[in-house]
Amino acid sequence: MRSIGVSFASVTRDRDLSPSGLSRRVWIRSLTRSPLNLFHFLSTDLPVALASTAVFFSGAQLATAAEPAAAAPDPFNQYWQSADAPDHELYVKEVLPPGFQVIATELEGPVFADAQGRTLYKWPLQTLRNGATGDRQGRPSTCTNEVLRVSAGLMSPYPAGLALPDLDHRPSCVDLWPPVIAPKDAKAVGKWTVIQRGDGAEQWAYDGYPLYASSLDRKPGDVHGGTKMSAGGDGGVVRVPVGPAIGIPPGFKVVPSTSGRLITTDRGDSVYTWDGDDKPNVSNCYKDCLIDWAPVLAPEIVKERDDWTIVKRAPGVNQWAFRGKPLYTYNYDRGSRNFWGADVPGWHNAYTQRALRPPEGFTVQDAEGGGQVLADSRGHTIYYYNCRDDSFAQLACDNPDSTQAYRMAICGNGDPKLCRETFPYVIAPAGAKSTSRLWSVIAIDPNTGHRAAPGQESLQVWAYRDRPVYNYVGDDQPGVTNADGYGEFTGGRNGFKAFVLRDIFQGNAFRQ
Amino acid sequence: MKIERPAAAAGSSKVSRLLLGALTVAGLTSGGSALAADALRDGRIGYVMTERRWAVYESSPEGKIECPHGFNSGPREQFEELFPKNSGKTYTEMESRLMREGRAFHLENQKDPFPFYEAQGPKSYGLNLDGKVGPNDYQGPEGEKGVDNQLYRAIGCIAAYRMGGVVSFFDTVDMYRNGYNRWLIELTGVDDMTNDDDVTVTTYRGLNDLYRDGTGQAFAPGSTQDVDIRWGKSFISKLKGKIVNGVLTTEPVDLLKWPNSQPGVFSGYYIMRGSRFQLTVNQDTAKGVLGGYVDVESYIHQLNTNWATHHQSYGQLSAGSLNRALLRLADGYPDPKTGANTAISSAIELQFVQTYLMHPQEKKTVVARKSP
Repeated sequence: MRSIGVSFASVTRDRDLSPSGLSRRVWIRSLTRSPLNLFHFLSTDLPVALASTAVFFSGAQLATAAEPAAAAPDPFNQYWQSADAPDHELYVKEVLPPGFQVIATELEGPVFADAQGRTLYKWPLQTLRNGATGDRQGRPSTCTNEVLRVSAGLMSPYPAGLALPDLDHRPSCVDLWPPVIAPKDAKAVGKWTVIQRGDGAEQWAYDGYPLYASSLDRKPGDVHGGTKMSAGGDGGVVRVPVGPAIGIPPGFKVVPSTSGRLITTDRGDSVYTWDGDDKPNVSNCYKDCLIDWAPVLAPEIVKERDDWTIVKRAPGVNQWAFRGKPLYTYNYDRGSRNFWGADVPGWHNAYTQRALRPPEGFTVQDAEGGGQVLADSRGHTIYYYNCRDDSFAQLACDNPDSTQAYRMAICGNGDPKLCRETFPYVIAPAGAKSTSRLWSVIAIDPNTGHRAAPGQESLQVWAYRDRPVYNYVGDDQPGVTNADGYGEFTGGRNGFKAFVLRDIFQGNAFRQ
Repeated sequence: MKIERPAAAAGSSKVSRLLLGALTVAGLTSGGSALAADALRDGRIGYVMTERRWAVYESSPEGKIECPHGFNSGPREQFEELFPKNSGKTYTEMESRLMREGRAFHLENQKDPFPFYEAQGPKSYGLNLDGKVGPNDYQGPEGEKGVDNQLYRAIGCIAAYRMGGVVSFFDTVDMYRNGYNRWLIELTGVDDMTNDDDVTVTTYRGLNDLYRDGTGQAFAPGSTQDVDIRWGKSFISKLKGKIVNGVLTTEPVDLLKWPNSQPGVFSGYYIMRGSRFQLTVNQDTAKGVLGGYVDVESYIHQLNTNWATHHQSYGQLSAGSLNRALLRLADGYPDPKTGANTAISSAIELQFVQTYLMHPQEKKTVVARKSP
């Protein structure tokens, strides 16, 4: 049986390659005899492959955003890599306006940053329960310096017009999301354009969306203002870090997850590597191995480049390899973004880069919810707190620099003591340090929930992405996540969610 | 056409999807009942839950007998009463929305500022849990006496729980769109599906999708469910029972826990004390009632963490008002320190279809390899 593939034959790693060869079809022999696989290849994979090939290789040049020290990744850890691991995501190099750069980040992969190293964000329009807010593509920013004083009523069932908390020191949208201002002589280049703001200033935009920095980012490489992970429909209209296109071949995609940048096929199937493949670009998975595992096929003629190479399984039958490791899908995976295959000893999910390890003392627990969660040293589940206000600016209220009124209402009915009892902070041991900048120790005023002033009596608590993490008093044993959903809109809007690393029933949706 | 192992038909893995297709063809060619004809094997038969509804007796859609004052108010109605739009006042989020949300999780006092309509009338579905006929007991629709179902008194006049209400509707919808809720029972030691004086019922959580029949309106027997013993240990319970004239009745088990969450929530369950099944069973289906004393604290926690005020609003379901009613009407399992009852008698209507349970120690069957 034969099927249609896409040739990479004319693709080179040079910038001036001809696109004419990109869509040339060649026949390759299918490794599988399954009619189902043939159907998917023809009806789904091919058009996507053609489209994404054009994007990926049309004059593109791959680059890495960092030059890390070489070190062997930790083979014993499923979810994380060490701080000195060499794995960084490749991206498609593009021309940037003067002063902009690409920075490698620990969780989000490469992101755009300005000359000061501040990560750039967009704020795409999104519809909530009772209306929409955010920026429209190609239109001026709706994030202004007006201090909004009342709720917008975007979230059912509460009406608009309620006075927002902490009005005496409430910030404007621009206070928290300074627009990335363009010089008067700025010129559009590629997807980079200039859009005039309401006050007449020129603002840089990418792909039509006005760009902002975040007041929460303090150092180059911080991405505290938002994440590429899905926030869920009721989580509010969120800001999303902006970055270059990912350097992967057609037929693959990268899913942002709590454990890093997970590689899947473009249909969402997780791809795996095997310890049994002990030589670069050689597969040892034949015969019985193929009962459970399916090699991820590559076109017959393809140009190897950078992390992506080819395994010759048979004349004309190619298999993709990533960083020298042949790639497979698992025949018993259930849906997309799975980790089932990694339950088989010796098999591992493939990532462009894993997240860095949490600090010492944190653990991973199997959870009743169906999957695994991050837990403290006792095995008790770690929670983080989500919050966005109900103004048209959708300002975050999930961090110690923002109002604590929402969190205090949910965790303690306005009582700080009850709040600490219900959701105790995860206290950091004296002298605790993190090798990952995702994790830090911050000093919290226990009564206000804000950062403690220097010299003030405070709690030294663990923070993830600069936000404290919590336990729940009702979790009486490891593996329970009784507070997932605690708060408004099942914890997504103003409430608590468990730090889920794997969720077998929800397809690892990796909620923010 | 002989099917050697229909058990491998309904997983949701890629292999299982292939098998489902193969078995659909098999079902079309061999007759619809062929799959379940030999469902009882080695004294074992499994079922997967397809429908669940807190039992609410309705004299009519309007509930004229049980709800003579109408249905209870919900979050929207209560909010409007407390903070009227036409008052001319600008309310703060702190005193309105956040006060309401905070108190949903931290009940401040037992007195409900709003009237709460308990279900009236003599009839209710359910079981006689305590073996007595008391003044607060109901009469079953078929005339049985001593029915214990005080939960019905609490929820019978809340629109969300009535037929077509959002809880009633989504409890079933979320059953099949959220695999977390996959609940299984397995009968073992069965010699005769009609009369058997000693059978064992074991509950599990399953790992696979539900599959509908060709009409799309019902669920077909004969699928497979992998038993979750890795993450779902707490959902495993064992009950002893007997089958009389096709009706399975179990003895009560002290604690039964079953999963119930909304998609997107990584937790959720009910805890029922002194619970027992009464199910009409055959080789295709099991239908009937689960009765017992549902733990009030976990019931409200499940509601608040899985069913936001937004969702509650569409069924005029006020968690705060219901919480107070449950505490007031609780009739079982008194707290040894305070003496206050911690659980409330209840009944759930259940429907299952037959499924083949695949325990982890059983080897996977890879029928797909038989394809040419």
